[in-house]
This record gives sequence, structure tokens and C-alpha cells, in this order.
Amino acid sequence: MNDQVAVPSIALPNRVSFFDRRSDFRRLVFRGALLEFVTVGFYRFWLATDIRRHLWSHTSVEGDAPEYTGTAKELFLGFLFAVAILSPIYLVYFLIGLEAERWKAFASTPLAIFYYVFFQFAIYRARRYRVTRTVWRGVRFWMGGSGLSYAWRVALWSLFAAITLGIALPWRQAALERYKMKHTFYGDLAGHFAATGGALFKRGWLLWLATAIMVASLFVVISMQIDALTATWPFVQLLLLPFIYGAYKAIEWRWWVSGIRFGDVSFESDVRRGAMIGLYWKVIGWMILMIIVLMLWISAVAGIAYVLSDFNGPTAQKLISLSQQPPVLIGLGVGYLAIVLLTWMVIRIYLIHDVWQRVAESVSVHNVAAAYNVTTQGSLVGALGEGLAGSLDMGF
Amino acid sequence: MDGQAVYFDGQTNRKHSVVLRIADRLEIVEQDAVVAVWPFADVRLADGPPTALLRLACTSALPLARLEVADEATKQAIVSHCPLLAAGRGGSQIMRIVFWSLAAACSIFGLAAYGVPAVADRLVPFVPQAWENRVGEMVDRQIRFFIRGNACSAPEGQAALATLVGKLKSAGGIDNAHEPLVLSSKIPNAFALPGGKIYVLDGLLEKAQSPDELAGVLAHELGHVKHRDGMRKLIHDGGTSFLIGLLFGDVTGAGAVLFAGRSLLDASYSRDAERDADAFASQAMGKLGRSAAPLGELLLRIPGAQAKGISTILDSHPLTEDRLEALKKDQSPVTGEVLLSNGEWRALKRICRP
Repeated sequence: MNDQVAVPSIALPNRVSFFDRRSDFRRLVFRGALLEFVTVGFYRFWLATDIRRHLWSHTSVEGDAPEYTGTAKELFLGFLFAVAILSPIYLVYFLIGLEAERWKAFASTPLAIFYYVFFQFAIYRARRYRVTRTVWRGVRFWMGGSGLSYAWRVALWSLFAAITLGIALPWRQAALERYKMKHTFYGDLAGHFAATGGALFKRGWLLWLATAIMVASLFVVISMQIDALTATWPFVQLLLLPFIYGAYKAIEWRWWVSGIRFGDVSFESDVRRGAMIGLYWKVIGWMILMIIVLMLWISAVAGIAYVLSDFNGPTAQKLISLSQQPPVLIGLGVGYLAIVLLTWMVIRIYLIHDVWQRVAESVSVHNVAAAYNVTTQGSLVGALGEGLAGSLDMGF
Repeated sequence: MDGQAVYFDGQTNRKHSVVLRIADRLEIVEQDAVVAVWPFADVRLADGPPTALLRLACTSALPLARLEVADEATKQAIVSHCPLLAAGRGGSQIMRIVFWSLAAACSIFGLAAYGVPAVADRLVPFVPQAWENRVGEMVDRQIRFFIRGNACSAPEGQAALATLVGKLKSAGGIDNAHEPLVLSSKIPNAFALPGGKIYVLDGLLEKAQSPDELAGVLAHELGHVKHRDGMRKLIHDGGTSFLIGLLFGDVTGAGAVLFAGRSLLDASYSRDAERDADAFASQAMGKLGRSAAPLGELLLRIPGAQAKGISTILDSHPLTEDRLEALKKDQSPVTGEVLLSNGEWRALKRICRP
């Protein structure tokens, strides 16, 4: 009999590790995408839960993996409650929008702001749900605070960031993280956020400047009608975008991790820019490939239908008539669906799994001993926030 | 037998190195003292690193009390002793999820395909004309934003248009339609709004070769006004988007299925409305002793891609083969007098360019 106490040998002291078989995750999301298709999307609650279980349980902090205790049933109930709450709100929203439009075309556009604020409320509540379902060493994380007061903070800070052309963005991030972390706890160990907006600004201002120059140069090129550049310049910018975004994300992750505190426990991340930029390029590569395949598929369906059709009349009329035929619609629909499912697989593999892995592996924990004798505290909250966020997540 | 494990008592996060005594129950022993006893039937699997260790919970202990077992022999002993280890982990519920999802989808599709049109049909007669006019004003503002053209008002042209529409209105028994407005847009199109406003775009006037062709179009649009199709479509589209947007919210696979399904539903629904409007046009033209066949000829002459400002693959104004056939069949003898004199027709054609 083995006398060793159960500590997996893969974990380095104080270093967070993530260790899984990538093919397991690929199989999980492939099966999930198929089931999502078969169940017209209802499987998403079960898939989301499975993905979280996979990510949580393959991560290891000081040798112990966190446990995700949320269930798909909770998410599903949250969704049903969200539907019940949102139905009358939608109706009111629709009627107000109608009256506003009657007064002036597009007068209802500002209503989107209400929608944005409400969405922030839902996001906060969703975070609370996930946090209270996270357990490490038999003690759960939990979260208080008010979704409403968070939503107003987001609204005001976003307004401020917009007015200052994005210069205030780092301070916005810091203020919002401070609010979230101030209300986050691990058992009786209170969290807070120690990183400052100034620190993020110092690390990111060059990227802000680069973005500002890009936007400005685009305006110049278009308004001065420099023929040689109007076609190529936006394309060049498009190529630069993943580099800038990836670099920013790496900076933001490092800054965010360095700001997290639970009591005297602090964290540090050395995630590389290259790692993030590489991920975004992989996603873009897959997307381009899928768009090409989709276009080939559409032309094939249209071509076959065109040859088989016995419609007499001008070509344009024939094409319109063909686009109304159920077999053509079904053919196009199948292609579209396959691409949507593949897109979700790509997003889940690269932007969820790989981002999680790269960030998790980059984190080291300092003074973990300060979290050695934590007493359980806090209560569970329902998944209504997740339901609301899921239902609202259409425009943003 | 005895085995090694790590125990979390569910109150603090302290790691206890314990000995597991597997007898008739699971006894958790720390430094020779029994600290907890878990009946076999209450032991459940908790989520944990699948290859490294077995993480256990107990339904009769604190909710977060956990045992972590790493060595194979102990793992196996626990698996063989605890009968309900995997209870509630939902291995076989996939079929249940699929079944209920499909049932829900059928019910929602049924509601969208039959319920919503039925509701729209029943509801429209109860919508006060004043409400419909308000909605019409709203649509009007957006249309005028997208179709940038001035209202044409050459007096002779307007008089000719009024004559033509007057004849059609009395033939069709319509009282809720406004006078049509011609806009100086090059797009060949005409449409009716909720509330009875009708727009004819100059592009269509240019394509029309005879008063009967234009009369056919106007009669068709008057048909939409008479049937209050604009309002009906609004209720119908609002209802289906409401059902679909709310229930299937996100743009996952669900959104895609419903996108396709919705388009089919809408297309078939508006096909019915178009056919009815054509039938109305045939009737009205017949009463005036004219034929609706020229309408079909005019529609054929308009290149499909231009028929709408923005062409989509799922055109909501479909010109289907059966529609063309139905219009061609209307070969009722032309017995009535011409609807407009040559002079009036020329004036109408030049309403935007006097």
C-alpha cells in the first residue's frame, strides 16, 4: 500500500498549473456543439457546466484543484426566470421605442443605453453565481455587492472613458475591479484589488497611442481621398489589429492578476504577449478558412439549383425565385449551421480553453500560507444573473 | 481495510491527512481518533481532477466536506463499497435533454407557424385605425430616412394619379387609404405602409409602359391596405421575433436553426399576403373592365436585384413562379374604357420631371 499523501506531482510550489489532454476538451466541445444543434440550443447550459468543470478541475493551485459545484439545472432555471422577467420588459421597451420612432426616426437609439446598463447588472450577477460555485480545499468563494450599483458605475465610467477618447479606460477598469474584488471573499478571507489605473496606463499607453494614430490616419486617408491608400490602408490596419489587441490583453491580464488580493495572499502573472497574439491569429486563420468553405458551399448549392431549375425568365428573377425554394434554403441553412457550430468550437478551444490555460499557467501565488486556515462563510446565490446575461447577450 | 486520504471537514480549508477505515461504513481517522463517519450509501463523487484522484462528498455530512483519495487500492475499495457513488451525476440524461428540447422546439415552432399568424389575423380587426396610423407614421419616418427622394407634385400628374386611384378605390370598396405619394427615387418599387399610406417610386413610373401596368401595382398595394397587411405583418413579425429572440436568445446553434426556420415562416406568410393582394388587384381591375395581367408583365421587367433597395436572399416581397402564373392567367377580356387618357398618362409619367 502506498503511504504517500495525495498530492499530484505535477504541481510546482506556489505556481498555478493547468494540465489536461487537449483532445479531451476538443471532444467535449465537439460533442457539445452537436448536442446544442440537436437540442436547438438548450444543451448550452449543460455544455457550459461541463466546460467549467473541465477547466476548474484541471487547474491546480498549490497541488489542489478547485471544484466547480454549479449544475446545468441551476443555469436552466436561471434562464427560465430570466425569460419570465424579461418578457414584460421587452414589451415596454418595444412600445417606448415605437413612440420614440414616431416622434423622430432613430430616436429610440438611446434606449440601447438602458439595455447596456441592464446587461452590466446581469454580468455582475452572473459573476456572483460563478464565484459562489467555486470551491477550493473544501471552502467556497463568495461574493456580495449590488449588481445595480455596479451597473451604474459601469455606465458612468464608460461615459467618462468615451468623453476622454479612451484615456480614462485604465482607471475605469481599476474602479470596476476594485468594486468586484471588494465584494469577493474566500471563506472569511476578504478580497480586494490593489492594482491602480495609473499602473495599467503606464503599461498600455503606447498601445492607446498606436490605436489613436491608426484611427486618425484612417480618417485622414478617407477624407483626403488618397487613392493609393484608401483600399490598402484599412486592410493593413486589420492586419495590425490582432497584434495590438493581443498585446493589450496580455498587459491587462498581467495587471489584473497582480492586483488580486485575498487577505495577504497575492498573485503575479508573466503571460507573454506572443502567446496571446498567437491565439488570436489562430482564431482568425480558422475563421478565414471557414468563410472560404462557406462561400464554396453556397456557390455549389446555388449552382446545382440553377442547373436543375426549369424557371423561364431573366437571370436575376430566376435567382430570386431559386432563393425561395425550400431545398435551396435547407441546403444553405445546413452549410450556415455547420459553420456556426465550427465557429463555436474554435472560440471555445482557443478563446476559452487556451486563454484559460495560458493565463493559469502564468500565475504564481505569493504568501499562500496566509490562506491556510480559512473558515467557511457566505451563501450561495441563484443563477438568475447568468440567465439574464445569456438572454441579453445579443447586441454586445 | 485501511487507506490514506486527505480530508477537508467542510468548515475550514485545513488539509487533514487521515486514514480511511473501510468496514461497514467509511470511517475517517485522524491521529487514531475518528473525526467523521460516512455511510457508504451517502458517499458521492464530487468534481475533481479525473486522473489524479477521487474526490468524494457525503450527503449526510457538511455540503463542502471532501475526501481526496489518490492511491488505486483505496479508490477501488471505495468504488466497490459505495453503491450510489455516481448518483445525480447525470450520465444518462442526454436523451432526456434531447427529448424535452425537441418537444419545446416543436411547441414553439408550432406557435410561430400557426399561433402567431392566427393571433395576427384575429388581432388586426381590433387594432383601432388611430393606432395603426401612429405605427404608420413611425414606419414612414424610417422609410423617408432610407429613401432619400422628394415628393413629386407636378399638378397635372397629381390630378391624373388621383383619377386613377379614385377609380381603383371605388372599384375595390376602400375607404382607409391615403392618396399615394410619388417619390423621386430611381428604385423601381412601390409599397403600402400601415395606416394606408402608399408610396410609388419614380423608378417604377419610368418602367411602367401603360396605365394598366401602374394601375395593377396600385391595386395590389391598395389590396395590402384593405387587408391591413402592414399592421398584420408587424404583429406577426413582432410575435415571432419575440418568441425566438427571447427563448433562444444567444447566437449559438439555436439562433441558426431559428434563423432558417423564421425566414421560411416569414416567406410563406408574406407569400400568402402577396397572393391575396394580387387577387384583390385582379378583382378591382376586373370591375373596371380591365385585366391584371399587365401587372405581371411589369414585375417581370424589373430586374429582381433592384426590386428592393437592398436585396436579400430572403426577399420579403417574393415574385414566385406561381404568382406570375396566376397573374398571366387573368386574361379576362378588356371591355372597360381606358383608365387614363394619353395626356393624363404622359403627365403622370412626368410627375417628377415637369
